[in-house]
Amino acid sequence: MANENGNAYALTTLCPLLEVSGEDASPAALIRDRLHRVNTGASSPMAKVPNVYFCRFLILDDVIYESKPYRLEHLKSQYLVFEASLHGKLGPYLYGMWQHAQPFVRSMWQFCVGFSEVNDAASFTTYIQKCQVKTTFFFNGSTDESLAEQLKSLYLKQEFSKFAYAHQGWSAKDLKAAFQDFIVRVEPTNLARPTWRAGATDLKDVVIP
Amino acid sequence: MAPVLDLHDIQGNIIKAYPRFGFCCARNFFFRISDGDAGRDFLAALIPSVTTAAPWVSGGSSVVDSKRPKITTNVAFTFEGLKRLGVPQASLQTFPEEFAMGMTARRDILGDDGPSAPARWDPIWQGPEPVHLFIAINASNQAALELRYREILAHLPKTGVDLVPGHRAANGAQLPYQDSSALFDNGEATSREHFGYTDGISNPYFKGAGTDSSNVIGGGKATGKDARTMAGWAPLETGEFLLGHKDEAFEYPVAPIPNLLGDNGTYLVYRKLHQNVGSFDAYLARVGAEFPGGGEALAAKFAGRWRNGAPVTSFPTEQQANDFAARWAAAKLAIGQAKTQPEREAAKRHFSTINTQFVNFDYTDDIEGTRCPVSAHARRANPRSALEFGNKGAFSGPSSLGDRRRILRRGLPYGDSKTERKDDGEHGIVFMALCASIRRQFEFVQQQWLNYGNDFRLGNDKDPLVGNQGLDESGQSDGRMVIESDPNRPPPPFFCAQLPRFVETRGGDYFFVPSLTALRMIAHGIVDPT
Amino acid sequence: MSNLAGKANAMTLITPIDGPVMALINKGIFFFLGTKLFRFKLNGLLTLSMIHYARWVIVSGRDFPRLSHSQPAEDLDYRYMLFFSNFNGSWAQYVDSFSAAIPDGLDGLWWQNVGWPKSVPEQPFHRYVTDNQLWTSHYYSAYPMAASNDIKSAKNVKDKLAQFSRESAHDEPDAFLHRYNRLLQSLQHDLGQLAPTPIVSLASQAVEQRRRSDARSNV
Repeated sequence: MANENGNAYALTTLCPLLEVSGEDASPAALIRDRLHRVNTGASSPMAKVPNVYFCRFLILDDVIYESKPYRLEHLKSQYLVFEASLHGKLGPYLYGMWQHAQPFVRSMWQFCVGFSEVNDAASFTTYIQKCQVKTTFFFNGSTDESLAEQLKSLYLKQEFSKFAYAHQGWSAKDLKAAFQDFIVRVEPTNLARPTWRAGATDLKDVVIP
Repeated sequence: MAPVLDLHDIQGNIIKAYPRFGFCCARNFFFRISDGDAGRDFLAALIPSVTTAAPWVSGGSSVVDSKRPKITTNVAFTFEGLKRLGVPQASLQTFPEEFAMGMTARRDILGDDGPSAPARWDPIWQGPEPVHLFIAINASNQAALELRYREILAHLPKTGVDLVPGHRAANGAQLPYQDSSALFDNGEATSREHFGYTDGISNPYFKGAGTDSSNVIGGGKATGKDARTMAGWAPLETGEFLLGHKDEAFEYPVAPIPNLLGDNGTYLVYRKLHQNVGSFDAYLARVGAEFPGGGEALAAKFAGRWRNGAPVTSFPTEQQANDFAARWAAAKLAIGQAKTQPEREAAKRHFSTINTQFVNFDYTDDIEGTRCPVSAHARRANPRSALEFGNKGAFSGPSSLGDRRRILRRGLPYGDSKTERKDDGEHGIVFMALCASIRRQFEFVQQQWLNYGNDFRLGNDKDPLVGNQGLDESGQSDGRMVIESDPNRPPPPFFCAQLPRFVETRGGDYFFVPSLTALRMIAHGIVDPT
Repeated sequence: MSNLAGKANAMTLITPIDGPVMALINKGIFFFLGTKLFRFKLNGLLTLSMIHYARWVIVSGRDFPRLSHSQPAEDLDYRYMLFFSNFNGSWAQYVDSFSAAIPDGLDGLWWQNVGWPKSVPEQPFHRYVTDNQLWTSHYYSAYPMAASNDIKSAKNVKDKLAQFSRESAHDEPDAFLHRYNRLLQSLQHDLGQLAPTPIVSLASQAVEQRRRSDARSNV
């Protein structure tokens, strides 16, 4: 299935926009402006949604003219493009998106064709699947572990690096004791904590203790 | 197919590293131009003495060449300088963005923060106006330097062009020039710099560059064949270093319009780099005491070369490095001692073979970093084939990721650090890099390879010698470096923690080095892109 | 608007493909790329190691979702290839790596696209990409301080640390130290520490600074 690469999933959606918004600007302009105002980093609404590695939102106004001798053509509608690289299956992800980022979803999809019928996670999932286009080729240059595993790994890498530097030349006995304390502190098998915070942009607030 | 370069049209400092030819002293001085006519008159007066790349008959510093100048003179301009000299706006707009902005405005890209921030630079670079015209002169002794300096100043018009003061010198003085010079040892000029390393060993070799084709070894791009031999290397395209010639991307590099303004010219990055020799010595002593092999071996791991220049990837132990140095010295001596011409030729060939061992490696047999650490300065500044990470054939050529990131280096040390090895004081390197694209070559290496580590899979770790190490929350230096160990032997990797910032920026700017044709056009005020 | 989220960069391209036959060839190439036999063709991209996830989507006018009768159906002659990448660095910084280092690979994937200038020489390639680029309005990365290399390296640390923890549980101190040193050797390329990205461009830095100061003043 081309949308998948191991446990990673490539979701690509083209959500058609209504022709008019009922307000003083086109749906495309309104949604674009809303998107530009969304908080970024750990405060992005997407940071609360489980298992999204990366996602992007943009408005596709039209196809691009390559100049003569190539043909000029136009799209008849504009589209909200929502593209995401996920871990796991699509259904649970979309349920998670509805559960954790509903106000954002309602706001960004407000002017999409047919979205007024969406009122719960199930109808949101159906809607997104109708807007989905099939991935032709999905390249995974990273891992397909769950997001929680990736974040925990980053936490462990950072902490173990600091440990290695700080305990160079220690006696065997002291090192073993220190390492055991270290393991107790970092809890390698506990994916919930301590770990790195999704979307964090600063070392000062990246650790969830 | 190598281009035939019009060497008379190209400024000499681009093609030649003058110190190698015995020009061991340099003076760098800068002017501001407030009147275009006066500026152009001054430039016109200078042009006859500008040194070109025209060959000097027969090499070797012991032979008197009829064509070898006693003193070299070269000129360059900042963007503002070109503007003051009347280069039209339509041409100015075709110069690259980073050159137009000047080096001060690029400080965040270059990592010139904290102790390297412009607020701490020598007064000459503090503005509010940038400098306009840069004159660099090189000579074999101080007296000749002074003479040329006075001769040039004598050409200054009464008004409209002013020598800019504000270079910090020893004992709190401020001078209207920046001297630099080889460090001397027992009256002999050395190639050492203040940390004790032999510098300037490796420079790019490009088509049309020089007559000694063996310099392609280590200087060109890697072919994937045996790096110890000529077959392992090919010359780089001229256009990586000279505008108006084909570059490694099979096109002409972006260049100003009209063509005549840019052709045979290049860009020069001038950076005065202060060296904290006290901290360096102290770190080597303190951490070197823990490090297998001691401080000297630690120094070698930082640089990727032993301080005598031997590459650590080819000579992993101090003994091997010293043996190599002894062989090299003996081979050099043998040339002078040869009694017949055939003997001399044979001695020269033998010396040349040994000499290439300074540069005939590409890291493909040291991917693990066991001999030359992945984070070592020489490896970061010029990774050769290392970025293939052992995946032969991954890229067009094994050194493809680095072929467009090379720079010509033309600097010399300044100041004295022999009498007192401390951080304070005026001593360091006047660093000069020449390349066809400041952004793609110099700035990229500085930002992505020296002050960052991702391309080497080192996270955010910086270059141990020149990286802009920061401070942690408690105010301690937070630089770090992993020195890899041999996975087949017991000792674990070694961690260098709390590396201080050993090198701090004290000023500089971005310059354009025009061809002689372009110089004449600028001086006559006839540049016109119409 | 930003294509950046810390160390990650969202590149989005839309390029026309000249007709159904070309589109089929394009899809065929991707199909083979996915097989074990031809995976070596991805060697360059994999060694560059600067991409987290990337995808290509080839659509015809009919593939554009039509969710109601009142929404007009798209009527397009060309097929379109949408490309979405999450990679590290800026396009300006790394275009040379894509152009010079793996030219054949990129040409293979894009030659059916209308106006494709080949990835070498670099300037026309750079312009083609910029001309056909769509800018992202909201970009999210779950780990702005991690490059693709960091994620892969971190997995190695997690796995080896878990294995070490298990195996060393009953070691006497000397045996522990010996095993620990072997662990360090196996992780010696994975201990670079992570921090925010160096600035990707002066423009993006300025926008980021304004955004932060707006956020502070809105509190």
